Amino acid sequence: MILISLLVLGAMFLSACSGGTVVNNWYGLAADAERAYVSAGSFIYAVDLQNGSEVWRYPEKADSKVLFFANPVLTTDGQLLIGSAGAKDHKFISLDPATGKEKWAKVFTGAKGAWVAAPLVMNDRIYVPNTDGFLYVLDLSGNQSADPIDIGGALWSAPVSDGTLIYLSSLDHFLHIIDPVKGVVVSEIDLGGAIPSSPAVNNVGAYVGSFASTIEFIQSNGDHSVLTQTENRVWGSPVLDGETLYYADLNGKVYSFDLASGTENWSVQPDGPVAAGLLIAGGQIYVASEADPTSELGTLVALDLDGKTVWSKEVGGKLYTTPVVSGDLILVAPHQAEVTLAAYDADGKQAWTFTPAK
Amino acid sequence: MWEQLIIQPMTNLLLFIYDLLGHGPHTFGLAIILFTIVVRLITWPLNASQVKGAQAMQELQNDKEWQEIQKKYAKDKEKIAQEQMRIYKERGINPFASCLPTLIQFPIIIGLYQSIIRALSVMPLDMLKLARTIYPFQNAEGIIPLNSKFLWMNLGSPESVQILGYAIPTLAVVVALTTYVQSKLTMPATSNPNDQGAQMSGMMSIYMPLMLGWFALNFASGIAIYFITSNLLGIIQYAATGRANWRNLLPGGDKKTTSVKKK
Repeated sequence: MILISLLVLGAMFLSACSGGTVVNNWYGLAADAERAYVSAGSFIYAVDLQNGSEVWRYPEKADSKVLFFANPVLTTDGQLLIGSAGAKDHKFISLDPATGKEKWAKVFTGAKGAWVAAPLVMNDRIYVPNTDGFLYVLDLSGNQSADPIDIGGALWSAPVSDGTLIYLSSLDHFLHIIDPVKGVVVSEIDLGGAIPSSPAVNNVGAYVGSFASTIEFIQSNGDHSVLTQTENRVWGSPVLDGETLYYADLNGKVYSFDLASGTENWSVQPDGPVAAGLLIAGGQIYVASEADPTSELGTLVALDLDGKTVWSKEVGGKLYTTPVVSGDLILVAPHQAEVTLAAYDADGKQAWTFTPAK
Repeated sequence: MWEQLIIQPMTNLLLFIYDLLGHGPHTFGLAIILFTIVVRLITWPLNASQVKGAQAMQELQNDKEWQEIQKKYAKDKEKIAQEQMRIYKERGINPFASCLPTLIQFPIIIGLYQSIIRALSVMPLDMLKLARTIYPFQNAEGIIPLNSKFLWMNLGSPESVQILGYAIPTLAVVVALTTYVQSKLTMPATSNPNDQGAQMSGMMSIYMPLMLGWFALNFASGIAIYFITSNLLGIIQYAATGRANWRNLLPGGDKKTTSVKKK
């Protein structure tokens, strides 16, 4: 009987503590001029940017096996696109950003894996990567408009386009360049480590960080070179601001790199590790530091373009989600915190926080 | 503490074996099998003492002196306990010898499960944790992400095979079956219908396969690979002692007509 009791306890331990079939991740975040949209596990919340109140939530009733963690994407024709993760029913849906009601006649359930990445909307087509290794191509009504493109490796990051080609990072160590017209992969570049985030793209090519602790420059024809080394692995997406590339590594070091001269402008360590992408807005660089080394709380740091700290605010929880700007507000969605969403102005003053009602 | 003592070493051992095997397709399943063999080899002496202890306890149930004590002091539990302790001491039997290896298995099972989930990293948060779990000497850049495919399975998810439109959990069935076989083989025959030990063993041989089958049904198939490998090694280990009771696998095979003689 002791053994049976231990087995029951063990089962409970596995179910409760280990993650088991429970899928967990940090939240997705997007915003338009009126609302912020947070994909936070069982629900997607629309939050009023004026006061931080809940406008709607989707679905109305939680299903612990259908979860949302990808960044939602707003389209110019008034859709909010997002796919679900969780243990069942991996579905890709379109919601009305104003009401949270489903817009398509039927949801897309054609993928085998979970949806972790945000889609790219380009030329009236939705390109959405799945963890099953395929890039699915849908029209704006949710119908599959072309054969899925076999990329290989789990796809966790959003595709990015230079207007002609699509650049897609994969955990299989390759950056894939896709011709969307032909629907084929035209180049695959091995970066020597898993690539968890999207590249930054301009008219000459793409810049991407990887687990190989490098930032690589990839031209549209597939030629590539190591631009610079980082102290640790790079998780978040680099950001372009004119001729300057900003990026951070898992040590928490933030770098500024001058693309014209090919030299590093500066590097600073404003706080703890950085897994999120950087946000450039209003002449400031916003760094979502996963956790302050002392307080172990997620901290939002504003740097000026010379790398000097302008202000620093403890948000709580852990910060993994890339901050988003809307108007004057900087939005952050902490993980495992008391609040689901917090808004700050450019001076670091907290405008409001959002915690969903139970 | 749990993280540093159990999860990190286990995850790194798994990844080390995975890297040695070339970290290609199907190698993580092989890494789990090799890991199980390593664990079994390390705990071999403990398992041997468990088998010995269980056997001694079961044989005691059929012992004449033991049975007489049960009858004689049926109404005096304290006296029975005293007499039992005397016999344990006289014959050099440790009544807890059969429990210890089982207790040791639990942190291994739970730790292995958590290590598999972390190593396979189904979500970004898991991979971020994995990146921080890997010891500096490991080839982290090369082995991340792990290939979760093994034969027809995704080791990070519960397994099932589509047969005639039905999802059949084949691994869960194999886990339950091998657990049943292992528990039946280690159960000695008894002539005493009121033997509490035998009744308990009989219950265990039903509950254990159901419980482990339930684990395999609901959790990552990597843990089912561990159970099956561990069960098969247990059967081999027990068979190697020459005491495996193969008749127990047949209906009614666990009854014995003659009593076991006192040693």
